[in-house]
Amino acid sequence: MSVRYLLLETARQLKNARSLIFSFAVPVFMLLIFGYAYGSTPGLDPVTHLPWIMVTTVQMGAYGGMMAALAQAFVIVTERSIGWNRQLRITPLSGTGYMVSKVVTALIAGVLSIALIFAISASVFHTTIGLGGWLMAGLGLWFGILPFSLIAIMIGQFAKPQFAQPLFMAVFFGLSIFGGLWVPLQIMPSWATDVAKAVPSYWLNHLGDMGARLSGDAMQPVLVLIAWTVALAVFISWRYRRDAARA
Amino acid sequence: MPQPGTLGTVNEPVIELAGLRKSFGRITAVDGLDLTIRRGEVVALLGPNGAGKSTTIDLTLGLSTPTAGTAQLFGDTPRAAIVSGQVGAMLQGGALLPTTTVRESVALIAAVHRSPLTVDEALRRARCTEIADQKVAKLSGGQTQRARFAVAIVSNPELLLLDEPTAAMDVEARRTFWESMREYTDEGRTVVFATHYLDEADTFADRIVMLRAGRIVADGTPTQVKAIVSGRRIRATLPGVDETDAAGIRSLPGVTSLELRGDRLELDAEHSDDTLRALLGRFPALRDIEVTARSMDDAFLALTEGGAR
Repeated sequence: MSVRYLLLETARQLKNARSLIFSFAVPVFMLLIFGYAYGSTPGLDPVTHLPWIMVTTVQMGAYGGMMAALAQAFVIVTERSIGWNRQLRITPLSGTGYMVSKVVTALIAGVLSIALIFAISASVFHTTIGLGGWLMAGLGLWFGILPFSLIAIMIGQFAKPQFAQPLFMAVFFGLSIFGGLWVPLQIMPSWATDVAKAVPSYWLNHLGDMGARLSGDAMQPVLVLIAWTVALAVFISWRYRRDAARA
Repeated sequence: MPQPGTLGTVNEPVIELAGLRKSFGRITAVDGLDLTIRRGEVVALLGPNGAGKSTTIDLTLGLSTPTAGTAQLFGDTPRAAIVSGQVGAMLQGGALLPTTTVRESVALIAAVHRSPLTVDEALRRARCTEIADQKVAKLSGGQTQRARFAVAIVSNPELLLLDEPTAAMDVEARRTFWESMREYTDEGRTVVFATHYLDEADTFADRIVMLRAGRIVADGTPTQVKAIVSGRRIRATLPGVDETDAAGIRSLPGVTSLELRGDRLELDAEHSDDTLRALLGRFPALRDIEVTARSMDDAFLALTEGGAR
């Protein structure tokens, strides 16, 4: 697989308007709404010890990055349904290479979405945290969307086409709500907080907050996200081999 | 039968299928296929829907695993041949991405190959230069197939496998398509195409392999295949022909069947020259005589329906 292929694949995806709406436009829109509604609340959020607008910024950055990664599920489902992946199978690109290309595209689209959210937050709301805070928040979120790209591959590669859409919706709502990406978890019942600790988006959000304030034990969220990544990769690899043997 | 249609000087086998079998549950799609195709051959896989053409192509490319038997390309596994860029294919249900342009599609595939043609060269060879910047979704049926052909040849393959390449093409589009194919095969490459257009197999292949129910029922040059259902058809007018005449005609040398419609008679003969001489000797009033070779369709029907051998 060549770098040229990865760039062409990413470029053609980024030109597709539909992916731009969900991965870029929606989180920007939500940032503007929440930012104007709550962003000017004085003081710091007692949970994250960050300015309110930064809490929202990290939430939306996590949401945009996560969506950019999850969107690969639809890309793969579409490619399977029209047979483009059959065309790719008669090229040197291996099955693993195909999936790696989707992860790379997810990471590139994700970092662009995160950067866009941060840039709008800084310019529209004059969010003031140090350069280090921006950088670490961005890096934390970027690293943290890795398992989501694998969730996308799992749905795209293995879900029956007719189940992919509802499955995606359930996963996407679950991850957004229990990750506290739309509304802070503290306003939800306590059982929700317990569920939240099982989903990777909670730790993604958490890691972003830690990065932004440049403090906290990042080891825990990093380990949880790595564990998710490894578990998903093992499952995908097993399932891919099984399917290939049955073809 | 001698190895028909061998064009290349090199007799190297490009495709070797041995005892190839594929079952889906109780249905056997390919039922013990033995087939060797050598460098430079242009082979038509001819057969009705469900004959096993697409499954054979999938097995040849290693896209599905045989239930029994082996498929080899260039003396190696199909995957090895694909990785080395020696194989290009247009598959059933192998569409291009609707939101990309033709050029982008070709460029994407070129980018995963090791030593591809330039994108412009592939577009030119597939007669796609003018539609290069159009979105795939906006193409007509014939244009889509040309775009897929461009994608199939961008690796500059030695072997092309085409599954019904001219489906959804009108007559003009088919002509253009085969023109670009000729260019390609003139360079001594190997092409295998599945089709149910009989005239296409007859015109463009130098070897026809007929499939029925997953088995090979005929294999040879178009002339040989047609000779299997040998003979020609004679049509003529014989004013006032009656049943007594008809019985006389049926007893003439080489006549295999006779049909009468008013004064018009239509008969099939194994040795039409002898039959015609005898016919004219006995019925000098015979006129409007036509002698035609039996078409590929006749061969096709005789071999693939019911009492195939």
